[in-house]
Amino acid sequence: MARVLVVDDAAFMRKMVTDALTRGGHEVVGEAGNGLEAIDRFQELKPDLTTLDITMPEKDGLTALKEIIELDPGARVIMCSALGQESKVLESIKLGAKDFVVKPFQADRVLEAVGKALG
Amino acid sequence: MTTDEALVKLGQSTTKAICGVLEMFAPGQITPGEVAVVAPGKHPLEGIPVPAVATMVSYVDGVTGGYLFVMTAEGARKLAAAMMGMEPDETAGAPELSELELSAVAEAMNQMMASAAGATTAVLGIEVEIGVPETRSFMSTDAAIDAYARTPHATRAAVSVCGEPCRFVQLVPNAFVVRMTRALDEAEYTTADPGGASGGAARDGPRDGTPSLAGISVRVCAELGRARMPSAGIVGLPAGAVVGLNRQADEPIDLYVNGRPFATGRLMVVDGSDWAVRIESIVGQPENVNQSKEVA
Repeated sequence: MARVLVVDDAAFMRKMVTDALTRGGHEVVGEAGNGLEAIDRFQELKPDLTTLDITMPEKDGLTALKEIIELDPGARVIMCSALGQESKVLESIKLGAKDFVVKPFQADRVLEAVGKALG
Repeated sequence: MTTDEALVKLGQSTTKAICGVLEMFAPGQITPGEVAVVAPGKHPLEGIPVPAVATMVSYVDGVTGGYLFVMTAEGARKLAAAMMGMEPDETAGAPELSELELSAVAEAMNQMMASAAGATTAVLGIEVEIGVPETRSFMSTDAAIDAYARTPHATRAAVSVCGEPCRFVQLVPNAFVVRMTRALDEAEYTTADPGGASGGAARDGPRDGTPSLAGISVRVCAELGRARMPSAGIVGLPAGAVVGLNRQADEPIDLYVNGRPFATGRLMVVDGSDWAVRIESIVGQPENVNQSKEVA
């Protein structure tokens, strides 16, 4: 079981990811609605794993990822991207993300990515 | 190919893309309609039923235009219900969408718009980037029309979502029309050229006569390098100006297939006058210079 921080600007997607993680036996310790909040919550909660949306207001997922990796080079981050964001997904992997899931996704795919990142 | 024909082709491509995403959220409840070019002087939102929920996303990098999806409030409610695994009747008749319903609809729109941008990228052969979508509610058609500026060109497509009438609009800037017409003309030329690079494969199809993707004609582009500069700088460029690119002369160049990175290689001249590219590595495969191939 992992302590997870879920970051997405859409409340609906946060709920979908949270439901999937909870069903998989993980604990969602916090949520954030943009990159700025994500950095604050990451420092505060020190989660085992963070799921990070790419397109968000205030501060996007790639910038937040970069800052999270600077704060903790060993941070486990899974990116959530929409279709057609292949170049940003590639960049996020180069920046240190462990895996990515493409929306719309099934709960199993989220759990598979989490298991891989934790393994 | 005329401008209208090119616009319709682009509209068909993006409409198919967004319907693919919607179908994942509401299986069996999405029906795409015909794509039409919006007549000059007309607004693409004329005649939309209200109350309506509209999501707009704009292109970035200074290009005017974007995508707009308008659904009836009831359509938005039914889509949200489908996304949350509920029956449409469970939320019918509520005075307005809950925060979670609005969020679900906005997320669906977000993913649809990203998919539309991907489809546009494939048609134009250049990467099309979009900003953050904005979702708004409208109680009158006039208010919706006032909210979104017209562009020189636009297409509209009717889409039925959970039985509710919706409209997908693509606001197309002039720059896209020029690029698109040329790209589609090139694609048609390649398909029709019996002695060209396609070798007639697009017409002949696979040798065993079974349907296959192998006969589809694709657009191959070689890119020497890129430059980024302010739009004012581009407009002020005189003939004879030199624009520096981000790549050294001895570096390999990139090869794209339908706008997607496919390989890197070396530019060369064949038969004394024709440009060609010697493939050095395929994207996603280990480099192997000894098995290099030439693309004329």
